[in-house]
This record gives sequence, C-alpha cells and structure tokens, in this order.
Amino acid sequence: MIHSVAHVQTRAWHRTHLTRHRRAWLLMTCILAVALLCIALGYFGTVAWPSLVDAVLRTTYRLVFAYGIALVLGIGIALLVGWSPFTDMLFPFFDILQNLPSFAMIPLFIFFFGYTSQMIIFFAASSIIWPILFAVLTAIRNAHKDLSDAATIFGARGLRRIPFYLAPLSFPAMLTGSIVGIAIGWEAIIGAEIITNVAGFGDFIREASVSGVNQASIAGTFAILLIVFILNRLVWAPLLAESSKRYSE
Amino acid sequence: MTDSNGMELVLSRVSARFPDEDHKGVTALKDISFSVQKGSFVSIIGPSGAGKSTLMRVILGLMPHTSGTIVRNFFRPGMVFQNYALFPWLSALDNAAFGLRMSGMPKDNREQIAHEKLKEVGLGHLAHSYPSELSGGQRQRVGLARALAISPDLLVMDEPFSNLDTITAESLKADLLKIWRSYGMTVLMVNHLIPDSIELSDKVIIMNTHPGRVQETLSIPLPRPRDTRSPQFFREVDLLTEAVRAIS
Repeated sequence: MIHSVAHVQTRAWHRTHLTRHRRAWLLMTCILAVALLCIALGYFGTVAWPSLVDAVLRTTYRLVFAYGIALVLGIGIALLVGWSPFTDMLFPFFDILQNLPSFAMIPLFIFFFGYTSQMIIFFAASSIIWPILFAVLTAIRNAHKDLSDAATIFGARGLRRIPFYLAPLSFPAMLTGSIVGIAIGWEAIIGAEIITNVAGFGDFIREASVSGVNQASIAGTFAILLIVFILNRLVWAPLLAESSKRYSE
Repeated sequence: MTDSNGMELVLSRVSARFPDEDHKGVTALKDISFSVQKGSFVSIIGPSGAGKSTLMRVILGLMPHTSGTIVRNFFRPGMVFQNYALFPWLSALDNAAFGLRMSGMPKDNREQIAHEKLKEVGLGHLAHSYPSELSGGQRQRVGLARALAISPDLLVMDEPFSNLDTITAESLKADLLKIWRSYGMTVLMVNHLIPDSIELSDKVIIMNTHPGRVQETLSIPLPRPRDTRSPQFFREVDLLTEAVRAIS
C-alpha cells in the first residue's frame, strides 16, 4: 500500500487569480478617482443626486428580482429537461424562443402588467433566463459519459439524480450563465425604462438627455459601474474562484 | 434469474447496436457469449473499437442490448473508470461515500466506512482533498474506494491503469490483487496489457472488431500468487500474444 501525498495546489492558479483581482481593483480605483475629480471640479454641480440615487436603486432592485425569477425558472427548467429523455427534442424549441427579439415582446408585457415595475421585472427576467437555461442545459448535455454512468451505477437514479448529480454538475455553468444574464438584465431593464418611461435609471438618463444635462447621465453611469464592480467583487469573483478551483481538472 | 451454476454473469448471444445518423444503426456487439464464475477475476482484451467498454455498459444495464440473454446474478455492481469519473464537487471522502449516501445510510456510518476504504487504498490522509487536488493515481484510488464502499459483488473495471504511469499502475495492481483476495468478489476488467491480464486473471476473453465479438477465451492455469518472471508465466504471455496477433 502506497501512502500518497496531495498534489501541491498550483501556484500559477493563485498568481493568475491574484493578478486579476489586483487589476480589477486598480481599474475601479481609476474610475472612482475620475468620478471624484469630476465632483471636486464641480462638473456634476447640476446633477439632482437624490433623484439619481432613487433611479439607480429602483433599477438595481428590479434587476435583483428579475435575476431571482430567471435563476429559479432557468435552473428549474434546465434541470428538469436535462433529467428527462427529451433534452435533444426540446433544445431547438428553446433556441427558437431565445431568438425572439426581446424588445419586441415589451408590448406583450405591457398588455399583461401595464406600465409598472412588475412589467419591467418580468420583461427583464424573460431576457435573463436564456443564458442561464442554455448554460445549464449545455453543461448537462456535454457532461462526460463516464460521470453520468458513475452517478447511475452508484445510485443517483430517478428524481434523486437532480439534487445529487445534475445540480452540482451544472454549478459552474449556472455561474457563467448568471454573469451573462445579469449583463443582459441591466440592458433589458434600462432599455425598457427608457422606452416605457417607467421611473428608474433608464427614465432618468432619458430625461437628462432630453433636457441636455449630460452630466447626469455620466454621473449615473459611474453609479452603475460602482454597483457592477461591487456585485462582481463580492459575489461573482469569489464564486468563480471557488468554482474554477473545485471543478478544474 | 437463478444462480444454478455458481455463475455471477452469463451472456448468451448478446448483440447491441448504436443508432447512427442514417438511423440504420451500427452493430457494436455481435453474438457475445461467455460466463463469469463467482469470485473469479476475468479480463477482457482486444483492439480499439472491439466494443469492450460498450460491453461493460451493456452488462451493467447502462445501455440496452438488442438481442440475446444476459443473466445477472449480481446485485451491487461497482465500477472503476478509465477517466476516474470522480465527482469534482465532492471531497475524496464524500466521493467514496456517494454510493452509501444514495442507499440512504446515515452520515456517520457512511463516512466511517468511506474513511476505512480510503485507508485501505492508502488515501486515509487525503480524505478531505478534492479530486482537482489529487494526482491521477490518487484519483483512481478514490474511484476504487468508492466502488469498494458499497461492498460490490461484481467489480467492473474499465482500463483502470491506462491513464497511470508504470510505477503507480504497478502499485495499484498489487493493491487490487490484495483487495480482490480479501473481498472474494468477482472482478471483470477491461485491459490492454497482456502481461497484466495474465498476472491478474483466471480467464482472459479476447475480443475482435467490426463488429465487436468474442474471438477466443483462454483460461490462465497458473497458481497464485503468480511469479511474473517464471517460464510458465512467459509461456502464457506468448500464448496470449499469439492469440491477439492472430486477430490483428
């Protein structure tokens, strides 16, 4: 019997991770420095800050809700379809649905929910869901046959296959799908707010642009960048780091 | 299915087809017939494309066969994979305990058993490491511990040494022989190394390609433990080499 020693954790991986971490902080520090400089020089003097903060918070709140709905539905549908024997049959169906131009669906959402926050949330969820659903489904479809066989042989059969095999298997895909989905979500929410005049950051920058107060749009963009950075550093970066460490070959 | 002849597994004229693009299907296995006695060690060798891995999947019910009969007298099959097939999100301990967890065993019990199996394969000190932190040989040992943890009556091994370096493979082979003797289970192993097959097996099944079929079955009459440097051993290697050459 041989007593093996653990592989030394690759230092290269740690170095890469650290370098990315430092670069992200450096970039954000530069952006913040520019924003503070603009404030110090009085460039943002005409900006209505309380309205801007309110608009940014409304949009962020909608994004969080829309992402929550898309995550639950996207993962739920993908796991059920991936578990069923109909994955290959349903894939083209989802592909067609995904390719429907999302902004063309806004009238449909207005019909059901009116010019409300719920309308924006459900519209955004309908855009965020696709990258999550496809990432998870693709991960399940492309899983190594041996891994699937191992799960079956050692008892992950029937519905137990979902929590014990399919869900953990698709965790890295869920992460990357979420990151792409959130980016699409910002776009969908701000775009819908601009189009429908429902109060939020999109409506705020439209108003600012029409009134010729471009500083308000720029200040708002800085605020959104800050939120994206905080979300990235506090949520996605640690989860991605853990996922790439755990799931790497 | 009855266990009348002390057989763990009997295949009679088993064929299997893969669906292909023009829906005609490709015959992967044709008229495969052999039997495996309980407690024996049987190796299957043959060229690539002979359907060895497909045969393992058919035997374990992971893939349907299109004709013929399979008598399965085993109830808890375990499998060790060429590519380890460990769950990357689980530690070595949780991987080893996976089958027990699926059978509903309480956490304390299954972790105790899994820890014992990891110790048995020399990895007790790495129980909390994840597969990505282990070498190929260590991963294969975790795979073996996972299979042993469920106390299998049939252990199927699909080229378990082919991704390992010679030293690791030799050490794992020695451990496997010890484990097989102490557990008394039946082992069915796909292998591609003739000396390994002679050293380990009671019987060697040689498969041929297009379609996958049994070409010849050889019994290895050497006493155990086997002396891999004895003239009798080399004679068996020569016989098997000749049989393999005849099909290539």
